Amino acid sequence: MKLNPKAVSLLQVAPMGIIFTAMVLVPLLIIIVVSFLDYDFARVFPEIYLGSWQDVLTSQLTLDLYETTFKFVAIVWVITFSLGFSIAYFLVFHVRTLQIRLMLLAAIAIPFWTSGPIRAVAWVPLLGREGLVNQALLGLGIVDQPVAWLMYSEFAILVAYIHLLTMPMVITISNSMMKIPGSIIQAAQDAGASEFQIIREIILPLARPGIAIGTIFVVTAVMGDFFIVKTMSGGQVNTATMAIVTELNAFQYPPAAAKSVLMLAIVLGLVALLLRFADIRKELTK
Amino acid sequence: MATRKRKRPASFYVLATLLGAYAVFLYAPMACVYVLSFQGPQGGMSFPMVGWSTHWFQVLFQGTGGQGVGDIPSAFRRSIRLALIVGVLTMIISVSAGMAYRRKFPGANFVFYSAIASMVLPGIFVGFGIALTFNLLGWRVNWFSSGIGAQLTWTLPFGMLIMFIVLGRFNPAYEEAATDLGANARQRFWMVIVPIILPGIIAITMASLTSSYEETARTQLNVGTGNTMPMEITGLLTAATSPVIFAVGTVTTFVSFSLVIASLLIMTRLAKRRSSRTAQ
Amino acid sequence: MTPKTPKDASTTAPGTTPAPTGLSRRALLKTGAAAGAASLFPAPMLWAQNIKDVKIVHAGQSYSTIPNIAEQANKDLGFTVEMQTLDQTTQTNRMLTQPDTLDVVDVPNTSMKYFLGRDILMPLAVKDYKWWDKTVPLFTQGTYPNGEAYSMQGYAPIKAQYYTSEKAKEYSLTPTEWLVGVPLYYNADTIGIRPDLIDRPIESWADLLSSDFNGKVALQDGVAVGVPDAAMALEAMGDVTYVDKGNMTKEEIDATIDKLIAYKKDGHFRSFWTTFEQSVQLMASGEVVLESMWAPAVTEVRTRGIECKYNGMKEGYRGWYIMMMGMSHLDGLQRDCAIEYMNWYNSGWVGAFISRQGFYNSVPENVQPMMTENEYGYWYEGKAATDDILNPFGKVMETAGAVRDGGALWDRMGNIGIWNSLMDEDRYLVRRWQDFIAA
Repeated sequence: MKLNPKAVSLLQVAPMGIIFTAMVLVPLLIIIVVSFLDYDFARVFPEIYLGSWQDVLTSQLTLDLYETTFKFVAIVWVITFSLGFSIAYFLVFHVRTLQIRLMLLAAIAIPFWTSGPIRAVAWVPLLGREGLVNQALLGLGIVDQPVAWLMYSEFAILVAYIHLLTMPMVITISNSMMKIPGSIIQAAQDAGASEFQIIREIILPLARPGIAIGTIFVVTAVMGDFFIVKTMSGGQVNTATMAIVTELNAFQYPPAAAKSVLMLAIVLGLVALLLRFADIRKELTK
Repeated sequence: MATRKRKRPASFYVLATLLGAYAVFLYAPMACVYVLSFQGPQGGMSFPMVGWSTHWFQVLFQGTGGQGVGDIPSAFRRSIRLALIVGVLTMIISVSAGMAYRRKFPGANFVFYSAIASMVLPGIFVGFGIALTFNLLGWRVNWFSSGIGAQLTWTLPFGMLIMFIVLGRFNPAYEEAATDLGANARQRFWMVIVPIILPGIIAITMASLTSSYEETARTQLNVGTGNTMPMEITGLLTAATSPVIFAVGTVTTFVSFSLVIASLLIMTRLAKRRSSRTAQ
Repeated sequence: MTPKTPKDASTTAPGTTPAPTGLSRRALLKTGAAAGAASLFPAPMLWAQNIKDVKIVHAGQSYSTIPNIAEQANKDLGFTVEMQTLDQTTQTNRMLTQPDTLDVVDVPNTSMKYFLGRDILMPLAVKDYKWWDKTVPLFTQGTYPNGEAYSMQGYAPIKAQYYTSEKAKEYSLTPTEWLVGVPLYYNADTIGIRPDLIDRPIESWADLLSSDFNGKVALQDGVAVGVPDAAMALEAMGDVTYVDKGNMTKEEIDATIDKLIAYKKDGHFRSFWTTFEQSVQLMASGEVVLESMWAPAVTEVRTRGIECKYNGMKEGYRGWYIMMMGMSHLDGLQRDCAIEYMNWYNSGWVGAFISRQGFYNSVPENVQPMMTENEYGYWYEGKAATDDILNPFGKVMETAGAVRDGGALWDRMGNIGIWNSLMDEDRYLVRRWQDFIAA
C-alpha cells in the first residue's frame, strides 16, 4: 500500500491537530464569544456588550500594561539570550566529554523540579531587607542602609525571570549547536579564523533555529506569566497577563476574555515576525 | 567536540567562570530551600533557624501529623502518574507531528499556530474553557480525560518545537542510503531516524514530564477530585504552613540528582562495553 | 462526641461510644429502641450496609480540609469523607463549572453572591441542622449576644444566612426555615504590629497610612480584604468619607483608589500579600512593621521568638466568616450523609481542632467540652494561659501567662467595624484596582 506523502503527513499530525482543536480552539471560541457579552458576579449574560472591548482598546491602562510587559520581555530576552548563548557555547564547544556536558545540563534543569511556589518563597531570605545579599553589602561596607529595591520591585521580577528562563535558552541553543558539524569549525580554524570570527560567521547563523525557539519560549513565558510578577513585586506591578488574572479572580470573564484575545493577537504577530528572520520549519523539509 | 587535544583558550576560563557564577545564581534560592528544610521542629518557613533537625523529613514521610502537611504523598503519586502518562503521550504525538513537518502539507500553518496559541493563551483561561466545554457537554472532568487533555495543551507545543530543532537539517543522505539498501519506511524510521533523534526524544519526554509536574493553571479545574502536587502546595500556602514543603524540595533535588548520576554511570558503562567490544 | 450513625449500632466494635441516653448502642438495638434512637437524629436512619459505599467529597479552605479531620470523620461516621484543599478562585470556578464533582464545600460568605439563583447549592432546613439553637446569634439573629445589632458595612453574616424559601432564590435578612449553610468559623482581624520596631502604641487604622511608617506597611492583596482595610484607614485618616465603606458608590471608589495611588507613588506600601506565608515572612523578616494580618499568622511570627501584637483598633475589627453547604446535586442516601457530615462537623471535635488554630467555632457550647479548661480559657475567654497552649499538631503556640490579644471572644468579635466585602460596584472596583496596581 502506497500512501500519498501529504496524506501521510496529515495522518502523522492528526493526533496533535485533534487535541489542539478540541482543547484549545473550542475554548478559544468560547473566550471570543464571551468577550462580547455582558456580565456581573460570576455570571455572563447572553446579551451583547461592547464595553469590555471598548475599555481594552481605548484605555490608558492597556498602554501602561503593555509598556511594562514589553519592557520585561526586552530586558529578559537580551540577558537570557546573552547568558544562554555563552553557556551553551561553553557546554558544546569547550566541554570535552558528553557525560560532563549532560551532567551540567541536568544540573541546570534540576532546580526546576521543585515547585514554583516553593522556589518563590525562597527569594525573600536572599533579597529581602534583612536578606543575605543586603547583609553582605552592609558587611562589605558598600551600603550603609539596607537596599529596599532588591525585593518587591521590578528588579526582583527581572531576577526571577532570568533565573527561570535562562535554562530554556541554554537547552534550545545548545541543541542547535550540537548539530553543527565539527568539520566546518575545524576547517575555519585551519583557515586561521579567530574564535570570535567563528562564532559570528558560523555558529551564530547555524544556531539560529535554536535561538528562535528559545526566543519563543522566553517571550511567551514572560508574556503569559503572572505568578512571578505577583510574588516578586508584592502585588505592586501590573502586566497584561496580571490584569487578566485579577479579573478572572474576580470572576469577571468578559473583560478578561477581551484582554486574552488581544494578547493572543499580539503574541501571534510577534511569532510570525520572528519566523521571518528564522523560519524554523523551513529547515525541516527536504 | 571541535577542539580536541588542544590547549584551552582564554575564552574557556572566562566562560567557565560565567557558568560558575550562573550556577551560584541558580542555586542560591535553592540553597535557602535546602537549609530551611532542616529547620528545628519549632521553626517556621523563613529564617531565623530555630535549631536544626530532620523533623520535617520525618513529618513528610509519615504523611499526616504536622501542620500544613496536607496530603502530600497522595498528591505526589497523582502528579507522577499524570506526568508519566503525559510525558509518554507528548513524546509519541510530538515525534509523529514532527515527522509530518518534514514535508509540506495542507494545514501545516493551522497546527503550528494552534500550538503557539496554546502556549500563549493564559493557562487559567484554557483550563476554564475546557471545564466549561465539558460542563456544556454534560461530561464530568476527570484526571484521565480532561486532566490529561488540559496538560497536553501545555506540553505538546514544547514537544513540537523541540522536534523542530531535532529534525532540523536532518541529513537525508542517511535515509537515502537506507533506502538504497532496501529498507522500507518502517525500518528507515526505527533503524535510522530513531537512533539519531533519540536524545531529542528523551529531551521531549523530560521537558513534558517537568512541565506536567509543574503545571497548575490548566490542570486545576480539570483534574477532578484529587489535588496534584503544585495544587496541594498552593492550597497549603494559603494557610499556616511548615518547612515540610522545603523538605519536599530537598528530597526532589536529591532524588533527581541521584537519578541523573545513576543514568550517566549506566551510559558510561554501556559506552565502555561497546567500545571494548568493537576493539576486540 | 455526639452524633453517631447507626453504623455503631450494627457493628460490634464500639463499646466505647455510649449513646446519649447512657445505654450502649447495642443495648438500644437489642431492646428494639433503634426507632426511638433514630428520632433523636434529624437525618433519617442510615444503615451501615447502605452507607458504607457512600463517599462525600469535601472541598474547602486549608484550615478546614485537613487530613486529620478526614481521618476523624472516617472513624466517627459510617461513610467515607474525602477532602480536597483548594484556593478560593479554583474552588469557585469548580463549583460553577463542575458542581457535580463536589459534595460539600466550605466558602467565605462573601462568595455567596456568586452562587445565588444558580441551582448549585442545596438549601438546608433548619430542622435538619441540630445545632442551630446553640449557634451564636451572630448567625442566627444577626446580632451580638447582647441583642445589639452589628455593623452592616461589608458582607455581614446575616446578609447570606437564610433563604426566603426552599427555592433558594433570594437571601432573607430575617430568620426563616431555610439555611444557606452551616456556619463553620469566623474571626476578627486587625493590624499586626512589630512593637520592637515601633516606639508608640498603635490604636487606630489611620496608622496604616501614617507617614511614620512609610515603606514599611503591607496590605492583603485584592478587593475583598485589601480594600475594606484601606477604607478603614482612609476613613480614620479623614482622607475619604463614606456612607457605607463596605459597599461603596462609584464616587467613593474613585476617591479611595486615587488616594491609594498617591500613597503608592509615595512608596508607602512595601508589599501586598496573598498567602499566609507571605504575611508571616513580611512581618518576621522585618520588611514591614504594620500589616493587616490573620490571627494564626501573628501567632506564627511569635513562635519564632519575634514580638508581634494584634490588639484591636478604636474603629473596630474587620470580621469574616466561613460557611459550609451541600451541593444541590446530592440526593437520597448521599444527601443524608452530607447532612450528617455537616452536623458532625460542628459537634465539637472539629470545632476544637479549628479553634486551636486561632479561629472561633459557631457552637462554642460543643467546643468547650472538647478543650481543656486552659485551652478554652485562653482561646475563648480571654484568660491567661495556665500551661502551654498547643496548636492542633502539638506545636507550642504560647506559654503559661500569655493572654490572647484583644481578650475574650466577644471583646473581639463584639466590636466589628467592617466585614470582608463583595461590593455591588464590584465591576467598577476591580477595574479601578487595576489602575492602582499599574500605577
